Order: sequence, then C-alpha cells, then structure tokens
Amino acid sequence: MPTMTVAGHRYDLDPRTVEAALDGVLPEPIHEHFVVVNGRRWPPKQVLARVTGLDRADFTTHQARRALTRLGFPAGRAAGTRGHHPAVASSPPPAFGAAGTQETLAEALRPFIGLWVAVRGDEVLVAASSPKEVVAWLARHRQRAQSMFRVVDSEQAITGAAPQ
Amino acid sequence: MRFRFRELPAAGGGVLTPRPVVDIALEGLDAAPVGCLLDTGALRTRMSAELAPLAGIDLSGALTEDFFIGGLNTAGALARVSLTVTDGADEFSWDAPVWFCDPWPHPFGLAGLEGFLHYFIVTIRAYDGYLDIEPNP
Repeated sequence: MPTMTVAGHRYDLDPRTVEAALDGVLPEPIHEHFVVVNGRRWPPKQVLARVTGLDRADFTTHQARRALTRLGFPAGRAAGTRGHHPAVASSPPPAFGAAGTQETLAEALRPFIGLWVAVRGDEVLVAASSPKEVVAWLARHRQRAQSMFRVVDSEQAITGAAPQ
Repeated sequence: MRFRFRELPAAGGGVLTPRPVVDIALEGLDAAPVGCLLDTGALRTRMSAELAPLAGIDLSGALTEDFFIGGLNTAGALARVSLTVTDGADEFSWDAPVWFCDPWPHPFGLAGLEGFLHYFIVTIRAYDGYLDIEPNP
C-alpha cells in the first residue's frame, strides 16, 4: 500500500480505498483536470479531499493529481481547456481509447449505461440513478446541460418507446 | 435549428443506430432539456412523470389516460406547459400539451404530433444523421 504525504500528513492509500470512498458520490464539474475512478471523471481535489478528509485549501490540484496517478488512476484534461481534446495521461490502460483520438459522445456515455445523464456537447456533466439527482446536481453546481436522458445499450430499449 | 442524431453505446462495443432526438426544455427545468425521440407516428408528446415535479408542474386533478406503449400499460396525465428548444444560437418557445407518464421506463421522451410536430417544419436527413427544425409560421 503506497504511503504518501499530503499537506504534511501521511496517508496509506490504495486504489480500492479510493474507489470505495467515492461509492454513492456524484462527481463535481470538471474545470480542467480530472482523474478517472470507477469509470467516471472526477476533479482530483474532490477525490483527495474525500479520501483524506483534508480541506481542499490544504493542497493543490497538481498535488492531488500526482497522488492519484501514483495510485494508478488515469488523469487527463477536459476538452475545451487550452484547446486540448480529452487525453488520458500516465497510468495504463487508457480509459478513453488511443491517445489523440476524439472521444465521441457514445464512448463518453459507455461507463454510464443504465444511468440518467446530463450532457453538453460530447461531455457528460453528471450521471446518476434518477433525473431528480441529475437536476439537483445541475442546480447545485449552476450548470446547464444540453440534454438529459437515460443511457441504454440496446436497440430494443430505444424502440420500446415508439409504437410498434 | 439543427440536431444531430443521438448516438448511444452498444452493449457489445460500437454504437447503436443513431436516432433523431430533440432536446426540449420544460419551463422550470431549463438547465436540463429532456432528450425526446422524434416520433412522426405518435399523436402525443410524452415524458416521464418523474420530470413534472422537478419542473414544478402540478399534475393533481389533471386529465389522465391509460394507454399501451411498447407493450407496457402506462398512465398519462395531461398538462399544458411552456416548452423551449435551442441550438445555442436560436431559441423557440411554445405552449403545448404534454402527457407525463408513469411508469415510463424509456430512455427518452417522445416528441409527437400534438405538442411538437404541429409547431415546426421538420426536415429529417437520416442518411446524413441530422434533422433541422424551424418554427411553423
């Protein structure tokens, strides 16, 4: 179990501890940097604060990102920031396909099959088990989505909505 | 206004056949426009009843109807609501009847004749994967 020092405190962390700490938590908006945990994108500071109990003011995004990539979580930079497309850095395997390929909405939605999502462009803003949770998250973070729907993975699930 | 057909991931990899989906915002729920499958064969415009309270729409005392959709018996409650579509540049709002349905296990709402198609000129370019809508003058 890797030991790391954050804001003067020593922590023994492993990937499972991090994944478990995020269970049932919704990711906050991604402003620039993100890490991928449990198939979802998270602000690095949100993750590290959750895991360590530290105040977010006690460490920087780069410290959080470095700590989490050391544990093997892929990190990247969101599309639209500094003109970059999503690119996953550091730990293999890459979560979003080969580096340099443009992520389509369908691929971005793949980790969220079965969930309600709010999307803007090719970006998934939030995914949750009900539209109520999605709407609450949007209101809490003052975000506007382009579309809200449930992600399904079969033709039958879509055509079921239309008269046969 | 142009809407690209919506692609969803397929279970075995790849994507499902892209579908014509328009994003319709309910008044009171502007931050989360509801993805609605365009259905030229549907008489009504329908959405999940879960959405009504989120938009502050009171369905108590509303006209209701039972119907079958996709083999499922569903109850719909009628409300006349203000709807908006936008492509980010242009925006159009209209008042229309929407049926809020329970249960509604479907991934999208349905944009049908009443509530949607009566208000727009719709050009579907399925081969090219998009549809254009413009308000009916």
